[in-house]
Amino acid sequence: MIRSMKKMFKSNYLFTLGVMICLAWIIAAVLAPVIAPCDPIAQDLTLRLKAPSAGHPFGTDNFGRDIFSRVIYGGRYSLLAGCLTVVIAGCIGTFYGAVAGYVGGRTDNVMMRISEMILSFPSLILAMIINAVMGSNLFNTMFALVIVAWPTYARLMRSVVLSVKENEYVTASEALGASKIRILLKEVIPNSISSVLIMATTDIGNQILMFSTLSFLGLGSAPPTPEWGMMVSDGVDYFNKFWVAGFPGLAIFTMAVGANFIGDGLRDLLDPKLRKQF
Amino acid sequence: MKKRFLAVILSLAVAAGCVACGGNDNAGGSDSPAQGEETGETSDQSGETSDQTGGSNTVVVAMGAGFSTVDPGYVYEKYPPLIVNACYENLFKFYSNDSAPEPCLAESYEFSEDNLTLTVKLKEGVTFASGNPMTSADVLFSINRCKNLQGNPAFIAETIESMEAPDDQTVVFHLTQADSAILSKLTYSSLAVLDSAVVKENGGTDAEDASTTDTAQAYLDTTSAGSGMYVMTSYIPDEEVVLEKNPNYWGEGTNVDKYIIKIQPDANTQMMTLSTGDIDVAMNMTDDTIAELADAQNVEIINAATKTVGFVMMNMNETYGGPVSDPKVQQAIRKALDYSGLQVICGEGTLTPYSLIQSGFMGSKGERPADYTNVEEAKALLAEAGYGDGLDVDLTVSDLDMEGILLTDLAQKIKDDLAQIGINVNIVSQPWAAGYGDAYRDGTLGFTVMYWGTDYNDPNVQLEFLPGGVVGLRAGWTADMNPELAAMYQETMSATDNDDRIAALEKIQDAAYEEGPFIMAVQAPAHIGYNTRLDGVAISDPYALDLTLINIK
Repeated sequence: MIRSMKKMFKSNYLFTLGVMICLAWIIAAVLAPVIAPCDPIAQDLTLRLKAPSAGHPFGTDNFGRDIFSRVIYGGRYSLLAGCLTVVIAGCIGTFYGAVAGYVGGRTDNVMMRISEMILSFPSLILAMIINAVMGSNLFNTMFALVIVAWPTYARLMRSVVLSVKENEYVTASEALGASKIRILLKEVIPNSISSVLIMATTDIGNQILMFSTLSFLGLGSAPPTPEWGMMVSDGVDYFNKFWVAGFPGLAIFTMAVGANFIGDGLRDLLDPKLRKQF
Repeated sequence: MKKRFLAVILSLAVAAGCVACGGNDNAGGSDSPAQGEETGETSDQSGETSDQTGGSNTVVVAMGAGFSTVDPGYVYEKYPPLIVNACYENLFKFYSNDSAPEPCLAESYEFSEDNLTLTVKLKEGVTFASGNPMTSADVLFSINRCKNLQGNPAFIAETIESMEAPDDQTVVFHLTQADSAILSKLTYSSLAVLDSAVVKENGGTDAEDASTTDTAQAYLDTTSAGSGMYVMTSYIPDEEVVLEKNPNYWGEGTNVDKYIIKIQPDANTQMMTLSTGDIDVAMNMTDDTIAELADAQNVEIINAATKTVGFVMMNMNETYGGPVSDPKVQQAIRKALDYSGLQVICGEGTLTPYSLIQSGFMGSKGERPADYTNVEEAKALLAEAGYGDGLDVDLTVSDLDMEGILLTDLAQKIKDDLAQIGINVNIVSQPWAAGYGDAYRDGTLGFTVMYWGTDYNDPNVQLEFLPGGVVGLRAGWTADMNPELAAMYQETMSATDNDDRIAALEKIQDAAYEEGPFIMAVQAPAHIGYNTRLDGVAISDPYALDLTLINIK
């Protein structure tokens, strides 16, 4: 595994690039107080909408806040929202799908219809409704994203479990008298998890985009929190001051692309069947 | 042969399309179908050039959308009065933006001793565009029609109990209560005087059941039936309105022969078409787009405050307001806000009114002094109130915008200002439709920033901010908390004499200068750009833009 990882870095440039981008963002987010030159919410109206300069490399916004510092701090929210959503949605979806697939029969039917009910809503609209009803803050936004995201994991997990549970080692455990829960946890889930992992890594990028979209629409944290999506929407009013929306937009773009590159790379690594043929 | 036949058919189709569409764009241009048949593009271009020629007496105005009728009986939104004011006239009119209403179709007026009767003498010799003479019957018809249509603007005639016309030139209004705003209300576009003969012919009625039996709206959306300087010749909803000079106008007109009003609210489009000369007046400019026009030679910009006011509300009821229900904390907040900073955020033209009455209204005391903010005093007040170590408070804010300025932007500035005196504000955003609107109306919001647009152009609309008034109650400010100030409501309503009114309004402003749950923070600005060939372009609160005052130099 480690050897193939090394080979990956050498042969798959996109994967390397993705790892570098994401590492850079993680470091920036963790060390934000050290890196950022200014307080991200400190206003200075004498410096409104100033173009990028040495003192303010990304310029300032309509409150005279330093956009560079805001972008650095903003990474915290996007990374947190993206990763946490995927982890929570992934866990819920995995267990739900595994139980449905392993138990089968009527339980499976009922459980999957419930998840399909959620899937049948346009995901962005559903997230917006949940957010609007519950009030918008970081926690509720992530909650909405989890609600929208978990059924996809459940479906994937169920389909994998359906084939895994026919394997001899599962039948053997059953014959030995192991409990269903034990079989599920020790045999079925560990042998089905790789495809969920692959999906999860690609999904981080999507969730970051989704989170930015919601906060662009005013459904994230309350201002003046430096969220990337919200910063882009602030900049929409200043059409010809490109830096106000441009730099946070660039941040969202690099982050989403980086996460996707890693996801693609991991898929090549973990799933030989799907490996690219070039 | 087949190919050539196809080409002819296609070019005919293109030409037909251009003629059909081009008719609207042309400023009375020479749009000959023969020319169009040769090449489709030529006819389009000729349309544009006639728009651009500076010598023509056609003026093109671009304004915002948001309405679907220009029938005066239903007019309520911001922009239709621009059209109604040009095509119709009222008994009274605002000839400048910060004056009292003056007689227009009225010759003189008189209030009775008890202020419950208003007698208006009409001007003689006024004729409608149709040639019919204007009489008291037309006035009665128009006001009754507006009332009985029961549309959005019917509230404006609420205080008119009944009317009578003793003769052709006299109208007597009987009021339900003394109403010092009645003259301003009579300037309102929905009470414009209609040509009753023409409107009746086309299905109009002023009967009690007019809301179901009146069918004149369709007619009044194709042409106008008033005595104004212009006649509406075409109205395409959400696209364009064309006004042409009324040849039978009884008074003296301007030298503009024709107005083309484009319903095109996008600021960037307006900015670009204004700088190329395709339009003459741009009504919806923004702070950002006017900056683009700074170097344009042929463009003049007006930045002026509207009467839409953004205010901070601190609930007087301790259950909802918590610490901000304490008058000392309220005063500390009032002293801590950086009003000039808020003005910068809102853009050029913004100002902070002295007190409850917006600057620009009759009787207004103008602006709050620029050096009012005092952080040290605010800190002392806060310590006096027992919050020397600071306090935490939630500021609820909706997703609405005030004339394009997001309320969350105001909230962020307020948070920053209050942090200076140790108040830690936690902004809670709540969409208007998802609870904020109900909470605001029910008076359960503790601390918020909201805006208020005036329903009609009269300082009396602000009386609702008094204790016991509609907005006052939303802040938990009941009449018994300040009976003296609450009594000013009635006193101002019955002060029909202009000097008495001004005195009453000034008393209110002084009383609320440093007291009460409201801080009037900013009057939102409007930005109008216009071509320098025009004279008399000015911001107008009642009419958006008064077309009857514009001349070509």
